[in-house]
Amino acid sequence: MTTPMLEIRNLHARIEEREILKGVNLVVPRGEVHAIMGRNGSGKSTLSYVLAGKEDYEVTEGEVLLDGVNILDMDPAERASAGLFLAFQYPIEIPGVATMTFLKAALNAQRKARGEGELSTPDFMRAVKESGKALSIDSDMLKRALNVGFSGGEKKRAEILQMALLKPKMCVLDETDSGLDIDALKVVSEGVNALRDADRAMLVITHYQRLLDHIVPDVVHVFSSGRIVESGDKSLALELEAKGYAGFDEQAA
Amino acid sequence: MNVPVRLGPAELSLIAQLTGAGASGEAERLAAAGLPTRKVESYHYTDLKTLLRAVPELAGKAEGVSPPALRVAGAYQLMIANGVPQESGTAPAGVIVGTVEGSVLSTRDDVLVRLNSALVKTALRIDLDGSVDPVIQIDRRTEGPAAHAPSAAKIYVGDNASAVILETYSGSDAAHVTNHATYLALGKNAVVTHITVDLSARQATHFATNEYVLAEGAQLRTLVIHAGANVSRTHLFPKFAGKGAHADVTGLNLVSDGQHADITMDANHAVPHTSSKPLFKSIARGRSKAVVQGRLVVARDAQKTDAKLMAQGLMLSDEAEILCKPELEIYADDVVCGHGSTCGQLDEDSLFYLMSRGIPKTEAETLLVRGFLAELIDPIEDAALNEALTAVVDGWLAGK
Ligand SMILES: Nc1ncnc2c1ncn2[C@@H]1O[C@H](COP(=O)(O)OP(=O)(O)OP(=O)(O)O)[C@@H](O)[C@H]1O
Ligand SMILES: [Mg+2]
Repeated sequence: MTTPMLEIRNLHARIEEREILKGVNLVVPRGEVHAIMGRNGSGKSTLSYVLAGKEDYEVTEGEVLLDGVNILDMDPAERASAGLFLAFQYPIEIPGVATMTFLKAALNAQRKARGEGELSTPDFMRAVKESGKALSIDSDMLKRALNVGFSGGEKKRAEILQMALLKPKMCVLDETDSGLDIDALKVVSEGVNALRDADRAMLVITHYQRLLDHIVPDVVHVFSSGRIVESGDKSLALELEAKGYAGFDEQAA
Repeated sequence: MNVPVRLGPAELSLIAQLTGAGASGEAERLAAAGLPTRKVESYHYTDLKTLLRAVPELAGKAEGVSPPALRVAGAYQLMIANGVPQESGTAPAGVIVGTVEGSVLSTRDDVLVRLNSALVKTALRIDLDGSVDPVIQIDRRTEGPAAHAPSAAKIYVGDNASAVILETYSGSDAAHVTNHATYLALGKNAVVTHITVDLSARQATHFATNEYVLAEGAQLRTLVIHAGANVSRTHLFPKFAGKGAHADVTGLNLVSDGQHADITMDANHAVPHTSSKPLFKSIARGRSKAVVQGRLVVARDAQKTDAKLMAQGLMLSDEAEILCKPELEIYADDVVCGHGSTCGQLDEDSLFYLMSRGIPKTEAETLLVRGFLAELIDPIEDAALNEALTAVVDGWLAGK
């Protein structure tokens, strides 16, 4: 059996004494796209932050293997260079840091960590232009400070642009669909689909079936009170849409 | 008189120097008042009596010069060494260089102003006209063994002229006490950028007083950077004397362990329809202290003054201290004036975001610090100058 791209074993995590993740088990094989759906506050973003290595959370139990390697001891930058990417539910605005400067720093840092040389400026510009075009990101936006003054939808698009440039092995998308208009949802989904690959896996957190019409998942998981309570094929998302979460809460209790 | 002030070695040296320079009136005044302590409002956070333990001998002739602290490609170089203006190369078009005797600053009840005015014999004088092309750099050096070096420059920028002036302060690695003065007058509609960068030795004490007078329509941008001396203080006195005059008065304190830096501004909006946007930033690490005091005075006649003062601090350690004191003194009624200040550490969420893209921690921190400073450095349009200032900041960030 080949190593899964992501394997989460009995993951428990807390913040300020409060346990949020209560034994998450999840296997995402390479090449697959898994969706996570669940109520507000059930811990989906927490899971994504814990995967990415946010300091505020304390992992009290469990393991996270990225392509077979335990990443829990790595800092966020090391995890990123190991191939993990989190598209934030709420991308952070960073005044004074030009978007292009940031993109170049990120790309070159990851190349360096992997022992590759720096990308030349023309090559870098070309790569950004191409990815930007595919996501209908206008170049004026890239001249501004990182995420500053970007609309909600522009921020989400910028996240996918970063993903396209960094070419991670494991993509975690936290509500990338929220804040997108109908056309943008299509553009972003196409951007994501273009990155589907036999050597890449994705975990897509969403509230809406609508996104999963565009990014068709191999597996859908239901998240409730800090763990996965049900998994199934894409029809599970339809069932959730029809019935809501009520039926699944029981199983969590 | 009242209770006599107990005089320390610094004061006694200064009194002797003033007497030696024939300024016995000033000597007596200093003997009576002593150096300002925290009780004097404008020195509240920079108590000279405590900070100035000793004052070395007045500087003699500079023997040899250390390498320039900051080079800007294409700049026209002028030098003041140990307080004395030096011969300079052929001046570019629109630039007349000379000297002027006596004090350059307006009379003020401020000990550093008084000392400078009493002790400087010959000041550098520059007249700028038309659109002056190269950056004018006044390279102020204090060389040789530890010395007390007062120096001064008087700069006139003609009507409709434009210029970029850079002043740098550096010298030998000794416990100098320097006291610099610049008087800069902007003619009608003149457009001037004036940047002062302290790169003195770590043991030095650096004082500077910059006085600006803006005629009608004049546009000024200033940037003070403290990145050298153990103790540094720059006192800015912008005066808005003509309708439509505007100044972006900006400054940056960069302090590391053991250092103390102070930017104090007294802005005087004297006539109607003038505006200013003072913006001061401080970054402190280790056990250090940065001070920003900003006072906006709006005269009774100065209706329609538009002035917004902002002070921001970034603390890179728990022991760092950043003190900001804004003050508004408004005598006119139809004005838009305000102030604000923020102080904090690097934003954890921002740091996490950058790191989550693979940028290692120290690099991410550098990006954020540069981001914090971008507002000050970005407006400097001259590419070589912008690059040189960025290098100063990066050099500081990289350690020291
Ligand atoms: N810093 C914090 N301190 C205390 N509780 C927190 C903190 N951050 C998150 N939580 C709590 O953790 C729980 C899970 O939050 P999380 O953001 O992971 O939910 P979510 O499933 O992503 O919700 P949504 O669908 O609304 O995005 C919530 O109850 C939230 O209030
Ligand atoms: Mg969430």
